[in-house]
Order: sequence, then structure tokens, then C-alpha cells
Amino acid sequence: MKAGANITKAEALALLRTMLFARRIEERMIRLYHQGSIFGGVYCGFGQEAIGTATTAAAGPDDLFAPCIRDMTVHLGRGTLPLDIFRQFLGRATGPMRGRDGNIHYGDLRRGIYAMISHLGAMLPVVTGGVMARRRQGRDTIGFAYIGDGGTSTGDFHEAVNFAAVLDVPVIFVVENNQFAYSTHISSQFRCQHLVERAVGYGIQGVAADGNDVLALRDIVAGLVAEIRTRPRPVLLVCETLRMRGHGEHDDASYVPAELRAAWELRCPLLLLRQTLVADKLATAAELDALDAAVQVEINAAYEQALGEPPPNPATLLEGVYATG
Amino acid sequence: MPPAETTFLEAIRQALQRLLREHPDVVLFGQDIGAFGGAFKVTAGLQQEFGADRVFDTPISESAIFGAALGMATMGLRPVVEVQFVDFAMTAVHHLLNNAGTLHYRTGVAAPLVVRAPCGGGFAGGPFHSEELEALFCHMPGLKVVYPAFPADARALMLGAALDPNPVIFLENKYLYRHVKEWLPAVWGPAPLGSARVCRPGRDAVVLTYGAMVHESLRAAERVHSEDGGEVMVLDLRTLKPLDTDAICAAVAATNRVLIVHESWRTGGFGAEIAAVVAERTFHLLDAPVRRLTAPDCPVPFAPELEKAYRPNADKIHEALVEVLEY
Repeated sequence: MKAGANITKAEALALLRTMLFARRIEERMIRLYHQGSIFGGVYCGFGQEAIGTATTAAAGPDDLFAPCIRDMTVHLGRGTLPLDIFRQFLGRATGPMRGRDGNIHYGDLRRGIYAMISHLGAMLPVVTGGVMARRRQGRDTIGFAYIGDGGTSTGDFHEAVNFAAVLDVPVIFVVENNQFAYSTHISSQFRCQHLVERAVGYGIQGVAADGNDVLALRDIVAGLVAEIRTRPRPVLLVCETLRMRGHGEHDDASYVPAELRAAWELRCPLLLLRQTLVADKLATAAELDALDAAVQVEINAAYEQALGEPPPNPATLLEGVYATG
Repeated sequence: MPPAETTFLEAIRQALQRLLREHPDVVLFGQDIGAFGGAFKVTAGLQQEFGADRVFDTPISESAIFGAALGMATMGLRPVVEVQFVDFAMTAVHHLLNNAGTLHYRTGVAAPLVVRAPCGGGFAGGPFHSEELEALFCHMPGLKVVYPAFPADARALMLGAALDPNPVIFLENKYLYRHVKEWLPAVWGPAPLGSARVCRPGRDAVVLTYGAMVHESLRAAERVHSEDGGEVMVLDLRTLKPLDTDAICAAVAATNRVLIVHESWRTGGFGAEIAAVVAERTFHLLDAPVRRLTAPDCPVPFAPELEKAYRPNADKIHEALVEVLEY
């Protein structure tokens, strides 16, 4: 990986900072989960942090996002506060979903982020419709719809990509091929050689990318964004990566071969960026350690604050089932 | 041209036309609804009048249609989408139940969208073009369910549904499209959702019903009257969710005998919900057990002889009414 000529030190550090926030928040969530102090499950994006980081870095302020399970960096990249993420995981009344939904199911349309539902693929047509609406309103919005390798097998994936293709809706369908859908390896998920081949069948452009190289991915996405913003059409962007933890923290992922995991450990997106920054003399190791420590301090403060905030009042149970006015 | 009565179908078309005229945030899309005007011609002429930007076709994609409608609704549009037959909505029902129905509760973001769904049988449509699925939609939190029986109501409720800030399932019984006509008022506006209407007064019994069965019930009530002078009230529920329970209770209080009629299946059908409301709130007013007349728990059959045996009609309703009145 090379820091391209078109990235400043500040930009590169911002990418690292986003990934560090996600990694350190998730490490905290894992500890809390094993202490039994988190409701429901914990689903992590270890190893996939570059994808949300690179795509949000290349996006514009009016763009819309439908992040999936392992995309905390989409939220962070759009400015979601670590405090809100802890509120969400702790089910606080102050959180983005106000305790109505938990863990990874959160969003904030003020930042252009749809809150995912559990049904994989179901958010792809939603963000497509959102982009169509904004374009009607005269904005140059494009969409980012994230899905895993497993999610590409769903009917919603097919319907949404074909729908966007036929109607020329500028959405980047970001496939995060992390090689396992829960315990199911990609060899049992699809028969094409590479998921990018699917693009041919939809009559759209397909791009294969390294999902762990945040700098290269950012450049690829920036190019696609520039093209489809002015000449609207969907693109299939397949990012190769590996899910570095279980489906959730309840899952030890013992079905992932140790040698595969070890090979991808060396390709950790945080590690790769750090190595590049140091090698290219954009930053010193001490500087990066200090950044990491500062992130950790912010996370500690956010967690402590969320912990002290109230849970939802049961008397509000029925509030908001319907919109009024 | 001399003024003519307006069909149920034309009434809905007029409502859609007015929505497109007066509300720039309204868009219509679905399969074959553009230049072709839809499988039943409800949207005939609308793409020609308002352009392919506002009224457009999509691939066969119930999931993408419902999902995209939800996305548009979150961005300030008011999409009114057509699913060609309600039967086909089942391939995408997770978008209604899980996506649209939960959105406001989860996120505080409103989803003002309408799913227009032609439904119902009586014309040899067979198992997959005749279904009545209102009970399923009514079971889902966050949705509203409208089921008009008359052209004037359909027109006004379509405006009300499209201007409501929630996802609304608008059920259009296909039998009504061309069989039911009436004079429509020149001045009209959106009707509130959740209001039933007594469409025939009476004091001896009440039929609680909706959709095509309102008209069958009116015929049965007329026959009761002509044969033995009995006065049977018919209450057209018009909206199933929210349900006008006060109107139901008032009707029971005025008649003390209840027959519930619907075209859909019996077990878990919407009649069971109505019967429960009657039992919970007006048990002390009843002079006879609550009676349900529904389709049997059987797929909708194709052959006309079988479908006639399957579907409630005025004769069957009359028979049930006589039993209720004689109890």
C-alpha cells in the first residue's frame, strides 16, 4: 500500500482515527459482552474497518448510506459520535433509537444514514429510493449500499441492483466479501468465480478492490463517485476482506481455518495504514501511538457518560408507533 | 356529455390525478402503471398527463418497489405504489412488516407511503389472483389499512391515505372496480382514516362488513326487509386499522344481534378481531351469539362452481341473517 500523492497527512490521520475509533469501541463492546453488561448480541467489524472509512471519505455531504452489520466506520465516517454508539448498545433513552432497537441497528438520516433492519438486502432498495427522491429534489445525491457475500444471495439484492440498473439510480453497491456468512463459507454461497462477475448480468460496471487497503480503496471510490454523480448509474464494488471475529461474540468462529486468519492478520487495515504512514514518513510511530491513546481516552469518557444515562421509561412503550401530524 | 355515475375504478383514478396535480411530492410507480395505465387501468392517462418522472414503470420487483417507496418517503416524497395483485405483496411482505411498519417507532422518521393493492375474487382468478389478505396487514404494527366499498369513499380515502404520515395499505376490491357506480359530489376532500359508516339503517340486527361484502350484505338486508319486514343495519367499516370500535359498539347497541361478513378466510380472519371487540365491549347487549360468515379455510378455487361455493354472497348472507334474527 502506498500513500498516494493526493492525500495529505491530515486526511490520512483522519482515516486512521476513524478506524481506531471503531476498533477500540468494538474491543470495549466485547469486554462488556463477556462481562454480561450488554443487552443482546455484539457484532464486530474487525478487519473490515477500511471499507466504511474509505467510502465515507470519498462521499459528499448529501449522499445516503445503508450500512450493514460490520460498518461502524460508516457511522463514524459520517460523524456519528462514539457517545451515541455506546448509548445505542446500552439501550439508552438518549440513544439514536431510544431503546427501540439495539446494537448495530441504528442510523441518523441527518447524517444520511439509514438504520438497518436484520433482513439482509432489505436496505438496498430503501437507499435506492432515497437517492431517487433526493435527485428529484434537485440534489446530486448518490447512495452507498453495503452488503456481505452472504447477502448477495438474497432476492432483495437482486431486485435492488436490477431496479437501480433499469432506472439509472446512482448507487454504489458495496459488497464486503468477508468470506463467511455466519459459518457458511463462500464456496457454499455462490458459484461464480468472483462476485464482481455478477455486474455483467445486471449490465452495470463491476469493480473489484482490496477491502483492507484504505488508501487505494478511497481512490477507487472517489473515481466512481465522480463518474456516477454526473452520469447516474449503479456500480457493483466488491471488496475482498476477511471477517476477523465470529458472526457475533457468541460465535468462536472455529470454522475459519487458522492459517487463513493468520494471513489476514498481517493485512489488518489499521496495521497496513500505520505501516504506510511510518514508511512514507507521514507520521512517526510515537505520533500514531499518541493518536491511539487519545482515541481511547475519548472512548472511555463516552462510555462513562452513556452508562450514567437513563434507560427508556416503560411508560413510553407505545410512543411513536404511528407518526402524527 | 351528460353527467354519469362514476365507477369505483374511476373514483380512485380521480383521487390519484388530484394528488398528482396538487401535491408535487406525490409519485406513482409499479408494474405496467405508466403508459399502459396498469393491469386494471386505474392509472390510465396519468403518465401522459404528469410525465414519466412522476408516474413510472418498474421491473417486476415487489421488494424493490416497497423498499424504494420507503426510501422516498423518508426523503419527503409521498409515493403511492401499486402492487398488481395483493397476492404478490407476499413476496415482499418483510418490507411492510419489518421495514416500513417499524420505521417511525425505531427512528422517529415518518414513512408516508401508500401501497395500492387490488384484491378479492368472484371472477375465476384462481388461488393467486383472488386473495384477501387484510388480516395479515392489520396484524402488523405501524401500518394503517383502508378498505373502501363505495366510489365516493374510495376517492376521499385515497386522498386521506396519501396525506397520512404513515404507511397505508389501500385495498381495492377488484369486483367493485366496474360493478359499483354512484354520483360523486363536486366538492370533495380527504376523508379521515378510521371512520365507519352506516350505509343502511336498521334495528333488528347489524352486519359488520367491508369491501365487496358491503354490497352483498345490502342485497341480503333488502331481501330480509322485503320478505318479512326485518330492518337490518349494514355498517361499512371502511378502515380496518385504525378500527372504528365506537361505531361498532353503537351499531350493536342499536340492534343487539350481530353478523360479521368477510370474503377472506375464517381462522385468524379480521372477523375474529371484530367479534372480539363486540364480545369485550358489548357482551351485555347481545340477544344472540355473534355469527361470522366468511370464506372457508381453503385456497381460493378457480372453477366458477367451486368459487361460488367458496365466496360469501347475498344468498348466504341472507341465510345467516335469518338464523341470527330467529335465534
